[in-house]
Amino acid sequence: MIFGIKNAVFLAALYVAPAALNAQVDFKLFDRTFQVHGFASQGFAYSGQNNYLTMKTSTGSFAMTDGGVTVSSQLTDKFRVGAQIYDRNVGELGKWRPQLDWAYGDYKFKDWFGVRAGKVKTALGLFNDTQDMEFLHTWAVLPQAVYPVDLRANVIAHTGADMYGTVSLHKLGALNYTAYVGTRTNDPRGGYYLATADAGLAIKEFSGIVGGWDARWNTPIEGLMIGGSWLNQTENINGTIAPYGNAPIQISDDFEQTTAVYADYMRGKWHFNGEFRRNKNVLDISLLGARSQADAGDKGWFVSAAYHVTKKLEMGVYNSRYYVNVPTTPIPAGDHIFDQAVTARYDITRFWNVKVEGHFIDGYGDLYSAHGFYLGSNPQGLKPTTNMLVIRTGFNF
Amino acid sequence: MKHLPCLAVAAACLSLSLNVSAADFKLIANSSVGASTISGDELKSVFLITKTSLGDGSHVEPVLLKSGATHEAFVKQYLGKSDSALQTYYRGLVFTGKGSMPKELSTDAEVVAYVAKTKGAIGYVSSGTAAGGVKTIEVN
Repeated sequence: MIFGIKNAVFLAALYVAPAALNAQVDFKLFDRTFQVHGFASQGFAYSGQNNYLTMKTSTGSFAMTDGGVTVSSQLTDKFRVGAQIYDRNVGELGKWRPQLDWAYGDYKFKDWFGVRAGKVKTALGLFNDTQDMEFLHTWAVLPQAVYPVDLRANVIAHTGADMYGTVSLHKLGALNYTAYVGTRTNDPRGGYYLATADAGLAIKEFSGIVGGWDARWNTPIEGLMIGGSWLNQTENINGTIAPYGNAPIQISDDFEQTTAVYADYMRGKWHFNGEFRRNKNVLDISLLGARSQADAGDKGWFVSAAYHVTKKLEMGVYNSRYYVNVPTTPIPAGDHIFDQAVTARYDITRFWNVKVEGHFIDGYGDLYSAHGFYLGSNPQGLKPTTNMLVIRTGFNF
Repeated sequence: MKHLPCLAVAAACLSLSLNVSAADFKLIANSSVGASTISGDELKSVFLITKTSLGDGSHVEPVLLKSGATHEAFVKQYLGKSDSALQTYYRGLVFTGKGSMPKELSTDAEVVAYVAKTKGAIGYVSSGTAAGGVKTIEVN
């Protein structure tokens, strides 16, 4: 169990900051008010079997830290600008390298039509754009069948433009829509690179474009929202592959389509939600003059329920199920990951929470699916089940 | 039968509590806001920041109390959320860049003063609050 200096400094800041910054910070520049907000979290994970999410969880790991700072301003009634820096260190993921999470200008012509341009968080499913902000969720670790920590960079944002708006449906509620196009993001310190490295593939170049839409209907039933998302990406990879003497390899696809349907229902002290997601992805592989195809598709879903026992204490459970279309090896544990989690979240203050969560995981997915389990971080081999305890605390201002 | 007085007192307290939380607040706005009435749906949209202008074209921005019975009652009755769910909603907007945190003030007097001086501001205060310099809006 290693607790590094960076974690110690980060934790010190974590516990000092809420007292010092228990509200947003505003400053004025050129007669305009800018809001500054931030968040940070620190986790500890201990698992009985496999190392999970590239952390050394089998011996207990504090390498689960992230945070971000946001600056934004409403420059005119219709025009706002903002940017957010995000940094994380989760095992081998992120490695403390700050990244521009989003930065854009937003002009709202009408309530039913606005435009955002720059680097924009992608609207996909219930939590894609909020997955890094643990304080917005009951869970210490979101359902990994749909929101894998390893693969956040693949769909987290795009550099391009969105159009969005809210259309009143009068007695039928309201419809929020977003449509977008741009170039896709990737993270050399993300799970995709680690999984391909496990297979001996070193990625030199990664690019692609993305387009899609999201629509969510706030129904006339109080607290019930139903939504759907569709995303199409292309992928162009150049690299070398070690098992073939570091020969050059090109991987591309004509389409990589993600479809999501989801629902969220909040009533009284209860909160339920669920999402189903399917990724269709057929890769064209060019190696040593030969061409082949591979099905890299998968699907997953989760359902969850949470209950506010008191104003500060919330307890919940979720069932998360992930399926690989075509596993690399025909091992029973190698085509799925089923995770059942139980959580208690306690809000110490309005800005500071602590969560204790148990995970009971069956299967480890495909060896190269980048869903938490890697050969590189489990050199002794993967076991079919994993039980894990996660304790996570976070604050925001 | 000997528990009846206790039950009566409890019922009276509950009744008082319900009365306080039902409608003991009024909606106030800056004089730049043209409308004198607003629908419940519009009000919800304004406070959820999906609507930034009213039918007459005037720009609006919500102003909230930080806490208290008036705040809890308003949020529950018109926004259909608990305070914690509302805070989660606002923070989701802030940290995805889709909105700014609305102004939150500690007292009715601060809300009245802020609304009076801020173009487009709409807030709520307990019904007994003196509301000089602002207009009162009816919710229909």
